[in-house]
Amino acid sequence: MAEEKKIIEVGDGAAIPKSEDKGLVSAWWVAVIGTVGLLVFLPLSKPDPYARILSFVPDGILVTFEVTLASISLALVIGLVTGLGRISSNRFFNLAASLYVEVIRGVPLLVQLFYIYFALGRFVRVPDMVAAVIAMAICYGAYMGEVFRAGITSIDHGQTEASLSLGFNHRQTMAYVILPQAWRTILPPVGNELIALLKDTSLVSILAVSDILRRGREYASESFNYFETYTMIALIYLLITLILSRLIATMETRLSHYERR
Amino acid sequence: MLQRTILTLLTLLLLGGAARAETTIVFAVDATWPPMEFVDQNKQIVGYSIDFLRAAGKEAGFTPVFKNTAWDGIFAGLAAGKYDAISSSVSITEERKKAMDFSEPYFTVHQALIVKKDSSARSLADLKGKKVGAQIGTTGYFAIKAADGVIPKSYDEIGLAMEDLNVGRIDGVVCDDPVAANYALIKYKNSLKIATIIKTDQEEYYGFAVKKGDRKTLELINKGIEAVKAKGIDRELKKKWIGQ
Repeated sequence: MAEEKKIIEVGDGAAIPKSEDKGLVSAWWVAVIGTVGLLVFLPLSKPDPYARILSFVPDGILVTFEVTLASISLALVIGLVTGLGRISSNRFFNLAASLYVEVIRGVPLLVQLFYIYFALGRFVRVPDMVAAVIAMAICYGAYMGEVFRAGITSIDHGQTEASLSLGFNHRQTMAYVILPQAWRTILPPVGNELIALLKDTSLVSILAVSDILRRGREYASESFNYFETYTMIALIYLLITLILSRLIATMETRLSHYERR
Repeated sequence: MLQRTILTLLTLLLLGGAARAETTIVFAVDATWPPMEFVDQNKQIVGYSIDFLRAAGKEAGFTPVFKNTAWDGIFAGLAAGKYDAISSSVSITEERKKAMDFSEPYFTVHQALIVKKDSSARSLADLKGKKVGAQIGTTGYFAIKAADGVIPKSYDEIGLAMEDLNVGRIDGVVCDDPVAANYALIKYKNSLKIATIIKTDQEEYYGFAVKKGDRKTLELINKGIEAVKAKGIDRELKKKWIGQ
């Protein structure tokens, strides 16, 4: 079956190096070596304040990862449901999913975070971390929904017809035929979204969640070492995203094996 | 007619010249600290320290201009020369003195602990293992960080910490007493209360901060502060804004 490789362009995640893309691969190496070099060199050459900053933020890194992982898991679930809703022939389900995507995409993430945390906080009492995760997941669920929708519609309609003619019903067709194939198209943009989400978790620092950025700001506000602190914070984020983008690129290469054949 | 126009123009020029001759000092204000400095319903920055500086300016011959600036980074902006001074209820501390110069003290301040109305906590020691909030980089935050066994949480604005306390996400908030009074006695009078004024060995004072080594601005401000105190204007202002 000669089908074209379809690429979904969603989100603003880090540029993912492809194996054939030599320029990006070398840029990735330069960035990684530079980042790691600075992260090692600066604390060694000037322990005060660089080493002190490094020892101040680790629990923040953990919080950032926690928020990212919890949000992406929840966003995937929301995204799948939304994606199915967007292509559903059930009028109500379709409208609800479309409305959700429309509303969420029209409100800035920062405003959503404030809204869910403070506005809804008056009615529902949720701990800070949970509120942050819910807000991130609701926002990214909408984008995920679009990714799922695009992934599912990218599968040739002939597949559905063949599956139905073999006696599968619609639900079975989706679960056993369409989704397993769509998954390969969906995964790379999901990886992109994961990186974008990790970076956006820095916004939760406004909710007094002690993530990397919050820890950095706490340090800077006491020591007045703004330049040094934010240099380290930026380097830490950069290193994490660089590693993640590499992992996703590897995953993408593995998946592309199916298509080469 | 022509004469009148020329006269008017001359007057305007003279007035303009006179206004320019007076020094303007740009003060950075984080206007989220009622009643000391906050934004009123007409979107104007008002409060005790604003009135104080206007009066001081009149006495010492400078015009204060206020620039609303986020607290987090307000000191970095001073060092970078984005404004001449900070008027944002900055407590004078040894750490801060290393990074900037301070005017004479213009207000004595204490740290107050605010809790929910139904809370039995009477001091920070009663809140061991509980979350207590304060604004990032304030003496209130330093106090809870120094307190034994309390989990400190830093907020961008004190109002956000108060709201989190109000909905029960944290168990206490520490901030300057005039601000604490404003929130616990006015804004959230049905749900919050002041548990205690935290005792410290050292008196804490507000000062206006200027860039390290900026003697000229500092002298002007100090001259104004002295005159305001000598005339008793500060007592009137206290009555007006704080009610005591």
